[in-house]
Amino acid sequence: MNELKRIDLLRALCAEFGPSGCEGNVADFIEGQLRGVCETRRDRMGNVIAHLPGEGPRVMLSAHMDEVGMMIKSIDDQGYLRFANVGSIDARVQCGRAVTVGNEQNQVPGVIGAKAIHLQSADERKNATAVSAMYIDIGASSREEAEKYVDLGDFAAFASEFVAFGEDGQRLRGKAIDDRWGCAVAIETLRALADKPLAVDLYAVFSVHEEMGKSGARVAAYAIRPDVSITLEATAVADLPSTAAAARVGELGKGGLLSFVDKGTVYDAGLIDFALETARRADILVQLKRYSAGSNDAAHIHKTADGARAMALSAPTRYIHSGSCVADARDFDAICALLREMLERPWGFTPNPTKETF
Amino acid sequence: MLDLVKKIVKAPAISGREDAVADVIRAQMEPFCDEIYRDKMGSLICLKRGSAPDGERRKIMLAAHMDEIGFFVTFIEDNGFIRLTTIGGINFVAAAYTTVVFANGTRGVLVPETGTAAGSLTFDKFYVDIGAKDKKDAERKVKIGDYFVVEPTVTRLMGKRIAGRPMDDRIGCVIMIETARRLSAPRDDIYYVFTVQEEVGCRGAKTAAFAIAPDVAIAYDVTGTGDTIGAKPMAVKVGGGAAIKLKDSSVICSPEVVAGLIATAKTEKIPHQLEILTHGGTDTSSMQMAGSGCAAGCISIPTRYIHSGVEMIDLGDVEACIALTAAYLEREGK
Repeated sequence: MNELKRIDLLRALCAEFGPSGCEGNVADFIEGQLRGVCETRRDRMGNVIAHLPGEGPRVMLSAHMDEVGMMIKSIDDQGYLRFANVGSIDARVQCGRAVTVGNEQNQVPGVIGAKAIHLQSADERKNATAVSAMYIDIGASSREEAEKYVDLGDFAAFASEFVAFGEDGQRLRGKAIDDRWGCAVAIETLRALADKPLAVDLYAVFSVHEEMGKSGARVAAYAIRPDVSITLEATAVADLPSTAAAARVGELGKGGLLSFVDKGTVYDAGLIDFALETARRADILVQLKRYSAGSNDAAHIHKTADGARAMALSAPTRYIHSGSCVADARDFDAICALLREMLERPWGFTPNPTKETF
Repeated sequence: MLDLVKKIVKAPAISGREDAVADVIRAQMEPFCDEIYRDKMGSLICLKRGSAPDGERRKIMLAAHMDEIGFFVTFIEDNGFIRLTTIGGINFVAAAYTTVVFANGTRGVLVPETGTAAGSLTFDKFYVDIGAKDKKDAERKVKIGDYFVVEPTVTRLMGKRIAGRPMDDRIGCVIMIETARRLSAPRDDIYYVFTVQEEVGCRGAKTAAFAIAPDVAIAYDVTGTGDTIGAKPMAVKVGGGAAIKLKDSSVICSPEVVAGLIATAKTEKIPHQLEILTHGGTDTSSMQMAGSGCAAGCISIPTRYIHSGVEMIDLGDVEACIALTAAYLEREGK
């Protein structure tokens, strides 16, 4: 497999078919990119666990391989597929979307359809179509034909071309930026540190089942027992005209978003200070995340076994959980640079408990 | 004991930011313990070794949470007003128009936007006014990610009753410190664990209990009462003694612990009452279900007006909790 870097790496990762529960292709790709860089293994849930041994606090990076998607729950006589969402998707961004349908071995193209607007009643036009009224059209005209390509329990994901656009081509549009972005950051971090003497014992977990809220990462954390957990995510920002300044969360192009609190985690004050101080010293852009509506794998990881100090560093991303997430390449470089700086130097504080005895 | 209560409520320490109160508690516990440390989540663990021989010596974990409910700064408006997010179950009726204090001593007032209807008091309608002229002025004192709490107070009422905040759960911490003072020669190893992050989901107790793997665990926390006007029927009342928890929304307490506490209270003639709390969880279940699990119970302090600025307790009930704990742990076997 060719070594892919930076935005090419992100592009290839986003292209992989990997809704929650069907992450195998993404896992294979990641292991391929890490061959020759560090040891990797697959655990029983399908997480990829990479390890760069070193002396010092045990640090676990985590990024999830799965994207939001759908699961096929029935096929009707006309060959249309009914589905349930896997992960939270706003129904308003689903209708009419191009999707890929299938499993790890085979995929076919499809479209999410519902009644065309011409045929809708005035009442129907007022409301967004519910998922239960939607169907996927894979171009089959009968149940028998559909069953040649698709089984119950197969998956669907948004189909979307990855495009660099906008100022200097720095804006990136595509599906699954959440969280192939984090996977790309982790791969680049492992590559950058592979030949260096490390002040930490570094693990990177490429996890499954995050979008379902089930968190494959927590079983990896149970096995690894990190002192410090750094979750690499893509997070929703609302730096849009209609949003009040206080609710905007963060801005594209101003660096990674460092969380201090969300619904699942109160992030470690010492790690936040260390990250901010490192960014200031090395002149790297970073922002504090201003709003705390959701949560991520850190919520599960930091409460596993005897606990861990938690940090989250995320890509500011517009229109998340849709077929067209938008992020910024400059934030990718800023996040990679900050992580490298933090992990390369001996840590300025002791993340392990210090005992006093009398 | 009132002085200790006043000292401990004063340190502002919300979930995930407990250092200030951990330092106060640590100083209090040092004379009574063999080992003190903070674990990875920040829970303060104070071990007092027991005298019983190996094999007979059990591990007892006592837990009270150090954290209180409060707020984080999320944004500073151009005009210097400060926007916030909440930590724990904030009652906005109780928090409206109160004085708040930041970790660095800065004070402000927490108010709803003018004209907000009483039924619409949500967090996004509130802001803190620290008297700043504009954003730049405010930023000399406060920044995004700072935390603040409603000003802690203690007011003496009639008899042994006091009101203030945060009794939840600094009064539980006081009980543990006073128990440690009393129990100078326990038979079993006693882990006094001052847990973190209870108010956001009993997080610190879970990870601490996993590492300690106790045989028996007892939590100390406030519980509601049925003795105020409009209260739902509940047997617990302020002044009724130590409340022995049977159940709350997170846990069914282990019967052997409950039976042991009741038997101890009766034998030692310690005022006590039985408690079932329909709304509200505690560290108890996090300890009961950590790792391979343990026998767990809870001794509660009857408290009126929980999560307000005027949480009200009876220090006589607090003394009963201390006496019950000491007597229970001194019993042979269970």
